[in-house]
Amino acid sequence: MQREEKQLEASLDALLNQVADLKNSLGSFIYKLENEYDRLTWPSVLDSFALLSGQLNTLNKVLKHEKTPLFRNQVIIPLVLSPDRDEDLMRQTEGRVPVFSHEVVPDHLRTKPDPEVEEQEKQLTTDAARIGADAAQKQIQSLNKMCSNLLEKISKEERESESGDTNALVAAVAFGKGLSNWRPSGSSGPGQPGQPGAGTILAGASGLQQVQMAGAPNQQQTMLSGVQMAQAGQPGKMPSGIKTNIKSASLHPYQRKSSPWLLKLGLIQVYRL
Amino acid sequence: MEAPPVTMMPVTGGTINMMEYLLQGSVLDHSLESLIHRLRGLCDNMEPETFLDHEMVFLLKGQQASPFVLRARRSMDRAGAPWHLRYLGQPEMGDKNRHALVRNCVDIATSENLTDFLMEMGFRMDHEFVAKGHLFRKGIMKIVVYKIFRILVPGNTDSTEALSLSYLVELSVVAPAGQDMVSDDMRNFAEQLKPLVHLEKIDPKRLM
Repeated sequence: MQREEKQLEASLDALLNQVADLKNSLGSFIYKLENEYDRLTWPSVLDSFALLSGQLNTLNKVLKHEKTPLFRNQVIIPLVLSPDRDEDLMRQTEGRVPVFSHEVVPDHLRTKPDPEVEEQEKQLTTDAARIGADAAQKQIQSLNKMCSNLLEKISKEERESESGDTNALVAAVAFGKGLSNWRPSGSSGPGQPGQPGAGTILAGASGLQQVQMAGAPNQQQTMLSGVQMAQAGQPGKMPSGIKTNIKSASLHPYQRKSSPWLLKLGLIQVYRL
Repeated sequence: MEAPPVTMMPVTGGTINMMEYLLQGSVLDHSLESLIHRLRGLCDNMEPETFLDHEMVFLLKGQQASPFVLRARRSMDRAGAPWHLRYLGQPEMGDKNRHALVRNCVDIATSENLTDFLMEMGFRMDHEFVAKGHLFRKGIMKIVVYKIFRILVPGNTDSTEALSLSYLVELSVVAPAGQDMVSDDMRNFAEQLKPLVHLEKIDPKRLM
């Protein structure tokens, strides 16, 4: 008996503490919302919600704890009802319940639900009893299965539609998937890595033709004409400076590491120009 | 013999190796507004910044199998802004605990004759696109939400068409190499954006 009493007391204390914490955090959140709404930031609101949800969780855990006796078995009976102010009670309830009287007791010590709710519950329990244990079990299982199927479908749908788009966008940014299909088939030079000789000659020929057609080459019009001009320029002019630069960039064994260097030096020159 | 003081040591290196830490995700067009609201709340308080950029990706095909890639970006709505040239290395794989994609990054501001210069160096343009969206900052983290537009006529940035019905969301930090706690901060920030957008480490090689 002693042990059970002690357990009851301990669990009641824990419950009281939890509920007091919850009440405090709710109170501070409401204060924050009412008074500091112009300075409120989204992370602070998220924090408050997280705090409340954490506290509700611990409250649940305390109630489910094995050391907690079944509160359902305890009965609370009012021993003395008086219409006088009770200072002790005021203090304990922080001024909310001044009098332990006939009006206050039915509300605070209520255990039965409202009559309509009670009716509905009775209805439900008779229905449940009518079906029988096996059929009830089967129904429970099918409900669980349907819920999990639905959840899976929803999460898969959400992930798939977004991740498909995400993949397309990331691929476009990373290496131009879906972006570089617009080059017309005439430009063989820039597109193919493996045939520099034949390609440049071809491009050179068509580039020269384009020069005759267009007159002054306009770089802004199409990148292609510019590219072909550059390639037509190379076999014709053979300027040693440009050629050695490209050669050293491609023959150097540590191309990755040195090229940014070369470019940085080169670019500083460009900027100064 | 003591070691000579640091100021007497010869200066051997050039720049600090900067790494870009990256997390990406996407959000459908109709969810853009709520994401922007949340970002305005979470990020540093500044005027919402929009941008319209034209990016061109240049390749230098050497004798090696993999070409050298440089990205040139220019702002289409800010007159007088310098062009931006960027080199991004291969993503560093291996560390499963690292929550963000890490790759070597070199950023340079250049003058306007960048494309001519690159052409003369032997680069060829591989693809280009227009990016239009919003920019947010939180400390050293940069968050960009933008839509990618495909350029229909090469060189003509007026005729564009949206690539998809979503916006790409990128959370990036450029920091010196070796600071891995940056990726933890990025992950914590990304947690606050769930469930509007799921930012994750996406390996581009997987999508090739």
